[in-house]
Parts: sequence; C-alpha cells; structure tokens
Amino acid sequence: MFAYNLRIAIKSLRRHPLLTGVIIAGIALGICASTTFTTVRHMFARDPLPGRSSRIFYVRMDNWDPATPYPDDGGGTNPHHVPPQVAYRDAMELMRSNIPVRQSVMFAANVIVFPEKRAARPYSDRGRMVFSDFFTMFGVPFHYGGPWDRRADAKAEQVAVIDDATNQKLFGGTNSVGKRLRLGTRDFTIVGVLAPWRPFIRMYDVTQNFVQQPEPIYLPFNTAISMEIRPGGNSDGWKPVGPTYRDFLASDVDCLQFWVELRSPTDRASYQTFVDNYVRQEKTKGRFPRPLNNQVTSLLDLLKEIGIVRPAMTAMAVMSILFLIICSLNLTGLLLGKFLSRAPELSVRRALGATRGDIFLQHLIECELVGVAGGVIGMLLSLGVLRFIAKFITATTVISLDPEMILAALFLSLVAGGIAGLYPAWRACKLQPAVQLKV
Amino acid sequence: MEIGPIVRALTRNRTRVLLIVLQIAITLAVVTNAVNMIATERTKMKQASGFDDDNLLWVFSRPFADSFGDRAFRITTTRSDVRALRTIPGVKSVVNTNFIPWQGGGSSGEVKAAGGDGSSYRTQEYTASPAFTDTLGVKIVSGRNIGEGDINDEPNATTANVIISRGLERLIFKGQSAVGKQFIEPDNSVDTIVGVFDPFYNPYGWPIHEYCLVYPGTVARNGALFLVRVNPGAMKSVSQAVEKKLLSVNDGRNFEMRTISEVRDKYFTEGRIVIMAMTAVIILIVIVTGLGIVGVTSFSVTERKKQIGTRRALGATKSAILRYFLMENWLITNSGVLLGILLAYGLNYLLVTHTSGVKLDWRYLIAGVTLLWVQGIVATLVPAMRAAAVSPVIATRGV
Repeated sequence: MFAYNLRIAIKSLRRHPLLTGVIIAGIALGICASTTFTTVRHMFARDPLPGRSSRIFYVRMDNWDPATPYPDDGGGTNPHHVPPQVAYRDAMELMRSNIPVRQSVMFAANVIVFPEKRAARPYSDRGRMVFSDFFTMFGVPFHYGGPWDRRADAKAEQVAVIDDATNQKLFGGTNSVGKRLRLGTRDFTIVGVLAPWRPFIRMYDVTQNFVQQPEPIYLPFNTAISMEIRPGGNSDGWKPVGPTYRDFLASDVDCLQFWVELRSPTDRASYQTFVDNYVRQEKTKGRFPRPLNNQVTSLLDLLKEIGIVRPAMTAMAVMSILFLIICSLNLTGLLLGKFLSRAPELSVRRALGATRGDIFLQHLIECELVGVAGGVIGMLLSLGVLRFIAKFITATTVISLDPEMILAALFLSLVAGGIAGLYPAWRACKLQPAVQLKV
Repeated sequence: MEIGPIVRALTRNRTRVLLIVLQIAITLAVVTNAVNMIATERTKMKQASGFDDDNLLWVFSRPFADSFGDRAFRITTTRSDVRALRTIPGVKSVVNTNFIPWQGGGSSGEVKAAGGDGSSYRTQEYTASPAFTDTLGVKIVSGRNIGEGDINDEPNATTANVIISRGLERLIFKGQSAVGKQFIEPDNSVDTIVGVFDPFYNPYGWPIHEYCLVYPGTVARNGALFLVRVNPGAMKSVSQAVEKKLLSVNDGRNFEMRTISEVRDKYFTEGRIVIMAMTAVIILIVIVTGLGIVGVTSFSVTERKKQIGTRRALGATKSAILRYFLMENWLITNSGVLLGILLAYGLNYLLVTHTSGVKLDWRYLIAGVTLLWVQGIVATLVPAMRAAAVSPVIATRGV
C-alpha cells in the first residue's frame, strides 16, 4: 500500500513540475537557513570536551590594584571582576597542590624552528608551553609517540611534541619520534606527533582569538622558562616591572592560564580552600591587596562567562527558524490549493472504494516526500554555506554538519513537511465525493 | 467599493486567509528586525579610526639569526629597516611602532596627572618613532610632535617626552591644554606631554578606545613592527617590494604582512556575517512569500472561476473583477500587516532582552509595510488578470 501511495505521490508531483519545484525549493531554503545558523551557534555552544568538561577547572586569583578592580569591557565598575590569568610565582605555588589529579599552567609564545634540511629557511611558529598533564586533560590525540612524562617536566628536559602539519612539513609525515628538532638556540627531542586535531574552540586558552587553530609546537613549561621565553599572549599588570626575565618571574603580571582536573565536588571544595589559604598567606606578606576573590571555574561555566556564543548568533538562529516557519506556511497554502484542485479525481477514487484514511495517507506521503526532498537539498546547500562562513570566521573549513545536526535537519524537514501537509491532507480526505461527481 | 461581499467571501475561506495573514505577519516581523540588525551593524562599521586605513600596511619582521640577540644590533637594524622601507617607490611614510589599528586590542597602562587629584586613568600606550602621526594621517593639534631627539631607548629611563590623543587630554585635563603637563607612571617615572594629536580611535577590550599615549622609542624586542603608509593605489606594488627590501638589510628573519583594511575586515567579521546573512534572509523571504501569495491567489481564482463567470455574465466589467481580487488581497495584506507590527515589536523585544539587539526603528516598520503592499499588489496582479480574463460563457456551462 505504501509503495502504491508513493507511486501516486510521485506521479502527482511530476504532473506539476513547476509547482513541485517551487514547493521543494521553499522547503530547501527554509531548511538550509535554519540548519546553517543553528549549526553555527551549536559549534560555539556545544561542549568542547564531552564527558570531561565537568572535571576541568580554570583558576583565577584577584591580585589586582587595591584602588580599582580589574577593568571589564563595561567600564571597570564590577568589583568582582578578576584578572583572567595568573602570575608565574603564584602558579608555581599552586602547582604544589596534590588535590588535582592533573594540572597544567601554560602560555603561548612564538618559537623559531630550524629545519634540518639545509635548504629550508628557519621560520617562526606558534608554540605552547605546557605541563605533560595538558595532553590528557584536553584529550589531545597522538599519531606517534605520546606526551612527555612528569619527570621531563620536573627536570626541564628538552623534549617536544609537534602537530601533524609540522611533521608533514619537517619530516614528510614519517614517524619522527626520537628525531632532533632545533628550536631557537637549543636541540629538542621529539617525543610525540599529534594526529590531525582541530577543536572548533581552543578551549584551553580563551583569553584571545579562541577560534584559532591549536599551536603546532608544544614544549615543557619549565624548559621554556629556563630558555627565558616570554609569554606572547595578553599580559595584564598594574605595578611597574623591571626589564629582566628574573623581574618578570617575580612580578604580579598575569599572563598564564592555569587549569586543574578535579575528581569530585569535594575535591573542588577543598581545592578552593587551598587556593584561598594560599592567598591569605600571601596577604600577610603584603600581596593580594584586594578582598579575597579566587575563582575555580568549570570549563563550561568559563565559556559561558566570557560569552563564547555571540548574541548575534542566537539572533540569526531565531531569524532563520522564523524563516523556516514562513516556508512551512507557504507549503501549506500551496498544497492546500493543489489538493483541492484535485477534487474530481479524489472523488472518483472515493467512489471506487478508497477510504478517507487511504486518501489522507496518500496526501500525507506526498507532503513528506517534498519535505524530505527539500530537507536533503537544503542540507547540501547548507554544507556549502557553512564552508563559506567557516572561511570567514576561522580562515579554515572546520565547521561541518555533525551527525547530530544532520539528524536534526532531517527531523526538522519531516516535521515541516508533516505539519505543513497535515491540514491540506485532512481537507482532501473530507471532500464530499457526491458533490464533485454530479458534474 | 464592494467591500462587504469581499469580507463575506473571505470569511468562507478562513484557512486560506489565515495562512497568508500569518505568512505576511511573520514576514514583516522578520524583515523589519533583519533590516534593524543590518543597520545596527552598519553603524558600528561606520566608526572611523581617523587614520588612512586604506593605505596602511602592517609589516612584522621575525628574526631567527643569533645576531638579533643583541639589543643594540636590533635597534640599529630596525632603524635601517625604516630607512630602507622609505626608499620603496610609492611609500609615503614609515613608522616603527607596536601599534596596530583595528586589531581589537593593543597595550595599555595607567597614568596619573602630576599635581592632579591622584586618580589613575587607564589609556592605550604605544611606543613609536616620530613618524607616528604622519603615517597614520593624524594631526598634531597643539604643542609639537615627538622628534628624533626625544627617543631614549634606555630601558631604565625615568623621564620621557610624550604625545597624547585629544580624547585622553579631555578625559584627564577637562578642557585645559595638556601641553607642558606631566604624568606620573606607576613606577614613578615622569612623562612630559609635548603635544596632542587628533583623531584617534582604536577599539579595545575596555572602553579606552579614544585614549592614547605615545612614547618615543624603538620597537625591536621580539621582532620589529612597522606601519607603512603608501600613496593611493600603490599598495600592491609596495607590498610586493617590502620583503626583498628588508631582506637586503638583513636576511636572518622572516616577514609577516597585512594591510590594515584586512585587519579591519577581520575585526568586523561578525558584523559582515550578520549583514550578508540577513540580506539573504530578506531577499529569500520576500521571494518565498511572494510566490506563496501568487500560488494561493491562483488557486482561489481557479476555484471561483464559475462565480467569476457568473458575475461577468451579470454585467461586471473586467476591471471590476481585477479590482475585486486586488482589493481582497489588500485587505488580507493589511490584516497581516497589523498582526505583523505586533509580532515585529514582540520579536524585537526578545532580541533586545536575550541577545545584543537594538530597539526597532519605526521607520523600518513603515518601509516594511510599504514593501509588503507593493509585494501584495505585484503578486496578485498576474492571477487577478487571469481572473479578469475568465469568459462570462463559463456561467452557462455545467450546473
């Protein structure tokens, strides 16, 4: 019966190719717009570390000026606003805690890469200085080798992890674990090569340009400090700092990101106490002049706090869904007219024994058919548009439809087709055959 | 006119009417709010920096050679770089500075006026060579510019001659001239203001977009940064020549280059996406709704062929039939518009409270209503003309 209905539906659609085209195009546009903009929003809003994010926390301490709170973009009136990063000396003290199962303080800085090949010119590239726990905490995938161990952290060993693209460039994509890599003035041993990795949000450093690609080169934090590499990202300070690297390390300049992994709410509470106690103790030495304000924020709360989902994205998603509603209303109107103009034919079928249910089902199938056709076309269109938008936002093509969004789009097109078709199909099956057959 | 019969006919086709009314209402709500969003973004993008943005090129030299480890060497090389860049044909002016317009940030610090009430003010702070004002295309409005003689690259210097933006002068000195006044820095070093420049606007994470303090000096610590101002039309030829020129000064480094228009475009990425997307939505929505009206009116014409024929047979003129359908559509459109105005304000309220939306400008509403009227007439015209063409003979056929 289904096959029969399907055949009739296709036949009916082919009888009016122009009308069918308009109807399908309408649905396709609606699905394309709504899928595109909800996907863009979804890319920013979704959990960047599913399953782990609730255990990952960002640590901040208010070591700012006693006279004014750390300024915020609204004009610096919020007294609870806390500097977004921490200072080196405090980070080193916090790293002593054994409450977190994993922890890493980190910063970004450029490093100069000297390729082994004589012909290749040295170049400067983005590096990230981390502790070994970083790789596990943020689910960084390895192709060859793995992270360095904690001993390498402690002894500031000259080991490095490089990303897939760097490995392609320098070593032709072969297993380069154990090979040498000259960075700046020192030789490093490669211990790990990342698999291609492109999280949409660079969640471990959201202090600037968080849609940027992860860094190509990773070095042990302590090694970078011993090389006197200065953090390249944002740095905030309110007190004068001397010119030397030693001055910098001893200063209150906030320029490092500090992450901890805590197993349970109990651990979180005791870690908060630990940080508070540390700051209280520093207060007795005349540091941290502002009221006690230390924040241990979960990854998702942090993303919410800095407003990673831009309001404009929500606005555009709302507008695109309204657009889909218009397309559906449009579909209803067109189908209604189409079905009712078919009254004589339907009356003959009814007179020959088709039940109301049969007629209803047949028309609903026709609606769903255009719904799904429009949905599939709309999704394909949306892929193209997303590629374009991704180029705009990140200069790469990292936005794509994940299975979740594809299912959502298909579901949406079925619902749109169904809802739009329900009333016309009902009207079609309510036609009085006798009236029409009189003619 | 025959409004009575039209209304009575409409009440017999409630669903059809309701569909179009809803469609028109939502269309009006979406279109006006979309236009409002576009206008908001456009206003933001109209903000001028006050600089010659279109003719500025940013050049970053990243050294890898060991020789750059020496501070004195870095400074002399940077100065040679500026001289070399100036010799490129089409270059108007070159400044060595850590300031990059439209980057969405920069560096900042706090200053206190000497002899003031002791309050600190946050301002953007940059280091630059004296060509700063010439290269950006801003004017010294009082006092003098910094000169080569003001440059002191000694890191422990405790005094400096500086220039500030007019915005900062107004903020701190409230209408008085800043020239000759002094700032106390947090480390107790003293800056003497020798001149004031205007205009200056650089968006910052904090509301200090118009405040700027410029130290005379050489920027060469982690690579050298330059802004190059070119003659109109010379951007392409200059940017092609830069790398070769600087390599001839010293080849132990790599270069990064970006035009300030590119930097600016990047800064406004979000606004550009909103504008493009909302423009597309407006165009598509008008097409879809238009086709919908054409479709539904066509069916209603087909459905009423017999009645039309009868009316014609009873003496109605072609233009009366045409008028009938246009009038019918106009009534429907207006019901849609009335509902749409409510919806538009409702949607706008949601956008304002839940997103960064701005209050709807009533003029867009008027434009939207006009658009829908025109659209309604155009979309009804074709089916209505077909209705007018229905022959009176039809009335004599069939039942």
